Amino acid sequence: MKQYLKYAAMGLAMGAVLQRIGFADYDEVHRMFIFSDLRLLFTFVLAVAFSATVFFALRLLRGMAYEPKPYHPGVVPGSITFGFGWAICGACPAIVFVQLGEGKIAALATLAGILLGVRLYRVLHARYLQWDTGSCGI
Amino acid sequence: MTEYWPWWLGGLGLGAVVVGFRLLVGRPLGVSGSWAKVAFWRREAAAAREAAAMADNRAAAQDAFLAETLAEFGEDAVAQLGMEAPAAEKPAPAAAREAVPPAAHLVFLLSIFAGALLMAVVAGDFSPRLELSDLHTALAAGSPWQVWFSLFMGGLMVGVGTQMAGGCTSGHGLSGCAMFAPTSLLATAAFFASAVAVSLVLELLYRAGGGA
Repeated sequence: MKQYLKYAAMGLAMGAVLQRIGFADYDEVHRMFIFSDLRLLFTFVLAVAFSATVFFALRLLRGMAYEPKPYHPGVVPGSITFGFGWAICGACPAIVFVQLGEGKIAALATLAGILLGVRLYRVLHARYLQWDTGSCGI
Repeated sequence: MTEYWPWWLGGLGLGAVVVGFRLLVGRPLGVSGSWAKVAFWRREAAAAREAAAMADNRAAAQDAFLAETLAEFGEDAVAQLGMEAPAAEKPAPAAAREAVPPAAHLVFLLSIFAGALLMAVVAGDFSPRLELSDLHTALAAGSPWQVWFSLFMGGLMVGVGTQMAGGCTSGHGLSGCAMFAPTSLLATAAFFASAVAVSLVLELLYRAGGGA
């Protein structure tokens, strides 16, 4: 139960913050990608810099675990595919829920696409790709 | 509609979410991971149940492993294991964490929706509409059918791509880069670069077609 509350609290915070940042606004995201407005890019870089500083301090002071994701052959082609889709639908896996929260009903199509894509990849991986991803499952 | 947060406020807010998630939940933030758990609900639920059962009863788990080993490799292997038995008595490694049922991941995803909905209503940003935005409609060149189709295809690529890459904007981009993980830095560079390339092409096509 406690676990559910933790996930719920972080989800609420994340949704609220992402809404206020404007990361779910296709126009803002598109303007970031064509470099005509760098606000979102600065936001992202600052978020990384802030968390990196805190994580670094926690690693030094509290011995927090360093858990990098392992490299495997899917990292680059997968990321390129993801970027392609992101530019077209203006959503990454968290943002689609923010768009729906803002009342953008069309994001239901994005939601269906992501769900199908996630399931489709498992089939592709099991049948054709089969490289070691460094974890069980995917 | 109210103005969005300036970059410094948004950056600190988003950074606080990344750090808060790591400290509160005990794992790095990663939304595409939650997607995978929810998309493969039945399998993940069974795995979480088994993990919980094993955590509850380590002795039974050990017996089960022993029986499997006996069946697979025979008496010799078990005898060999016997010599190393004290090692198995060690407490579970710190890395072994409580299993997370897919329902918790679904709660997380739905909470993102709820948090955004609440904030959008409070900020006056909530407005139901059937399209994503005027610019998106213009770039997608048109009819509602084309808009929805482009969103579906984009979503499909996001789904396949994030699972293939093992992370998305949150897992690789935020958590991974904040740990200076080489794989995540590479992934982030790759998805930003391809999104920039595609967006520039869309923009050029739009302008060539007489758009603003």
